Amino acid sequence: MENIKELFEPFNTQYMELYKENWLKVKLESSSDLLDVARVIKNYGIRSIATVSPTDFIEDNIFEMNYFFEDLNTYKNVWLKVDIPREFSECKIDSITPLFAGANWHEREAHSMYGVHFINHPDLSWFIISADYYGKFPFRKGFDWKAHEQNLIENMNTIVDDLYDEHNANDEKFDGSKTILNWGPTHPASGPIRLKVEVDGEEILAIEPDIGYVWRALEHLVEEKDFLGSIVALERICFMDNTNSMICYAQAVEEIAGKEITDFAKMMRVLLGEIGRIVSHLMGIGGFFNTMGLMTLFMWAIDLREYFLDVLENYSGARVATASIEPGGVRYPLNMKTLELLDVAIEEYERTKDDFYNIFLKNPLMKSRATKVGIITKDEVHDFSLCGIVARASGVKTDIRLDEPYAAYDKIDMDYMIEENGAAKNRLDVLFKEIAQSISILKQASSDLRDGIKSQIYNPQKDHLVKIPKKLPAGEAISRVEWSRGELMMHLVTQEKATSPYRLKIKAPSFNHTMILEHLLKGQTLSDIPLVFGSLYICQGDLDR
Amino acid sequence: MLKILDFFDYAKSQSAWMVHFCSGCCSLEMAAAMGPRYDWERYGYLVTPTPRQADVIFITGLVSKKILPALLRTYAQMPEPSYVAAMGACAYDGGPYNDSVAVIKNVTEILPADVFIAGCPPVPEAIITGLDEIKGKIERGEPSAASHGGLWKQMKF
Amino acid sequence: MEFLFNIYIFPGILFILTWAVFVFWFFRKILATLHKRVGPHYNGYAGTMQTFYDFSKLLTKESITPKGVNSYLFSSIPLIAPMLAIIPVVFIPWMPNFVIINSSYGVLGLVVLIGIEPFLLFLTGFGSNNKYSFLGGIRILTQMISMETSFFLSALSPALLFSTMNLTEIADMSSWLSTLILLPGAMLFFVSILGILEQPPFNIPDAEQEIVYGFYTEYSGTNYFLLKLAEFAEFLVTFAAMVTLFFGGYHGLFFDGFICLFVKMLIFAVLMIAIRASNPRLRLSQMLEFAWRYLVPLNLLNIVWILYAKQFILGD
Repeated sequence: MENIKELFEPFNTQYMELYKENWLKVKLESSSDLLDVARVIKNYGIRSIATVSPTDFIEDNIFEMNYFFEDLNTYKNVWLKVDIPREFSECKIDSITPLFAGANWHEREAHSMYGVHFINHPDLSWFIISADYYGKFPFRKGFDWKAHEQNLIENMNTIVDDLYDEHNANDEKFDGSKTILNWGPTHPASGPIRLKVEVDGEEILAIEPDIGYVWRALEHLVEEKDFLGSIVALERICFMDNTNSMICYAQAVEEIAGKEITDFAKMMRVLLGEIGRIVSHLMGIGGFFNTMGLMTLFMWAIDLREYFLDVLENYSGARVATASIEPGGVRYPLNMKTLELLDVAIEEYERTKDDFYNIFLKNPLMKSRATKVGIITKDEVHDFSLCGIVARASGVKTDIRLDEPYAAYDKIDMDYMIEENGAAKNRLDVLFKEIAQSISILKQASSDLRDGIKSQIYNPQKDHLVKIPKKLPAGEAISRVEWSRGELMMHLVTQEKATSPYRLKIKAPSFNHTMILEHLLKGQTLSDIPLVFGSLYICQGDLDR
Repeated sequence: MLKILDFFDYAKSQSAWMVHFCSGCCSLEMAAAMGPRYDWERYGYLVTPTPRQADVIFITGLVSKKILPALLRTYAQMPEPSYVAAMGACAYDGGPYNDSVAVIKNVTEILPADVFIAGCPPVPEAIITGLDEIKGKIERGEPSAASHGGLWKQMKF
Repeated sequence: MEFLFNIYIFPGILFILTWAVFVFWFFRKILATLHKRVGPHYNGYAGTMQTFYDFSKLLTKESITPKGVNSYLFSSIPLIAPMLAIIPVVFIPWMPNFVIINSSYGVLGLVVLIGIEPFLLFLTGFGSNNKYSFLGGIRILTQMISMETSFFLSALSPALLFSTMNLTEIADMSSWLSTLILLPGAMLFFVSILGILEQPPFNIPDAEQEIVYGFYTEYSGTNYFLLKLAEFAEFLVTFAAMVTLFFGGYHGLFFDGFICLFVKMLIFAVLMIAIRASNPRLRLSQMLEFAWRYLVPLNLLNIVWILYAKQFILGD
């Protein structure tokens, strides 16, 4: 860390302090230094950027920009802050996209939501929001959205007019065998996302994703609810893995409140988090083969998934939207029937896993299709800030459970599951290996809980929840969690004695993964779009939030 | 003569095909209803990729403003008689996203539904029970609620 | 009188409709068993009435003709396609001493008529005013040109072995020895059949995940029913042709009859569904490479083998 501190010698900083032993938190004095600082950081070797997020301080009339730089090799990261004025005409800052390619879409989003103008950005067009919000910047404090909601039909007409204008422009653009296909929002293989594919016959020339069809503005919704009620909004970031996102938010709130939860609650969080991961990965391997027209593995995987959903239903009463983790611990006490159902589920997995492997993973037709497409190299992982299974399949060792252990992961014996070569098939292999590793983590957690309950260290009826006050002090915290799709990061800002968050920024992994879609698919054929898209393990819920 | 028409209505009710339109989180439970444990193909339901061959469209959960024209267009492309099933709390009044800036709160005023399936998300048994209601409606020969009402006929899409 | 019976009941229109109802149900049940599910179950005994309801629903729905389509192509192909698909039925010997046209060019007629069917479907792709249907039409054209060559060459091998093109004589002259000699040809014929019928792993023209449903995308109601009827009639004709040419037709172990032919056809249908449940789809360029680089040379080698076997093993 000392080396990194020395990098900031030539620049004026308001403060520089160590945060949580892996992060260096620095606030710059003036925003014109940003590009030079970024160049210095990149030359030092920190090449990834997680997200770019403004916080709106309306009383002081400034935006505070936050930049989160990460190093995937040495795990020493930098959190950079700088202030810019709030007025539209002066709300400008240099764009760091020419240096960090992974910041491209994050800056577009900050522009569409808040109105920050990034100088020298390659393409600062409207993003995620629907056409009736163009130019209105809905996330600024003081935007009167109730008045905006009154005329629904007029808003819808604006949206449809914009869509037709774009279609007509597309039709006039090309002639002959080249055309623009709309891989539209109701395509059977894509879910609610639109890809504008320029094709020449069957060969792809360019792809431009158009996202925002599942935009629920969760970051704004959380400001209307209180700290406990936000769980309802945040567990629905992506329904497939429901529990890990609640862990991320709960940790941020506990850090600001200054409370420590019990060991029992930490081990329960590990248990619930790993069940969420298995449930999501089973859906992911089914979806991969679905894109190639084979439904059999989807059916078998969903059958296995039902056993794990039984465990969640026994614990919390709901199969998918469990609301089982809240700030202070886990929500419900534990009874032993839940652990018995978990044993049944693990036994079912052991019984069927060889079939999965021999029939599908070794399938020669799948290998011939998936071994040479969608190859991501190690440099691209660093440049575009990829994470999760996409990064591990290319050989980069990054896993938040091992880099920055949270909950009870420091007591668990696990390892990085990596593959070389980074093609679509390698990502499928990593998914399989992660399921096997999660099963072993579940066995360790379950035996630890059983031993603890038997020897009276844990009290399953009382130890599960610690009281968190309803009004939190002023502060900010970041919390990172290894979600099933990658690294989920939340940045929470609170004001003194407020009952709801002031600003919550969610950085979702699928956002960066969709950014590289064009880079991977240029020059391939139409048949490869669902294959590469399915192997990147994208979920539209966390893409749009 | 009427008996023959009754037979055709009964045949239409026993083989309802649905189009795969996924606009929100509830589509995950729809996928679980296709699986081996809750197998809905026993009742004759089938998922088709194009709306031209479908009878029922599901409003799976939340509908954001950006995807509403696509939903209306898909519904308009379905051949008559076509029915709408609204799934989840979001299709009723916005559900957990009631305070959100970007979700339509009253989708069923725009595209009226024939059956509401409650839950967030509804369990697969609830989905199949809700589809039974639509089967009863088709068997009695009643027209769909969207054909005589709703704001969708005044909107552009 | 017998002529009217042949046209309307067996093996005419009623037989084709019954076969279509049966085979749709059969495919769904077998595929469901491989998926660890139960297929249609509640309508009729074990779901047998389900397809009946499906077809009568399709006939009573609205048939939409979208704006901007070429109305000649769009509306006339669904009428011509099933008629063309049903015609090869007259060449096949269904029962002992029962064949409608006993021609000495049976194999040739069968191959030509089965082969011309998919070209009509590509015209539907051109006729719908839809980019995805157009892509489906181009794909079916590409696939048919490659697979038909291999289909023709492998259908020729029993005619070469028995020195006759008359289907009844081919079925009568087969024995255990000749079936063993024709086995490589039978396997090549089966693979070409998968290509012509657009079944997995060659279901490239109607790839659901890529081009929404290929050339079927814009069809609804009665038009869709007629196109599906053409597809099921093709199944009937190609499976019956395969059994007659390579495996002895209506001859059985203990007795001859139509039942033996039917049971052998169902065995191949189960084989086709098992391949569908365990293999993903190929890319178009991979299919082209497979057809021209591997299938056609193997077929030529097969013909050399047949001629050698005819000279030295069968001895005439």
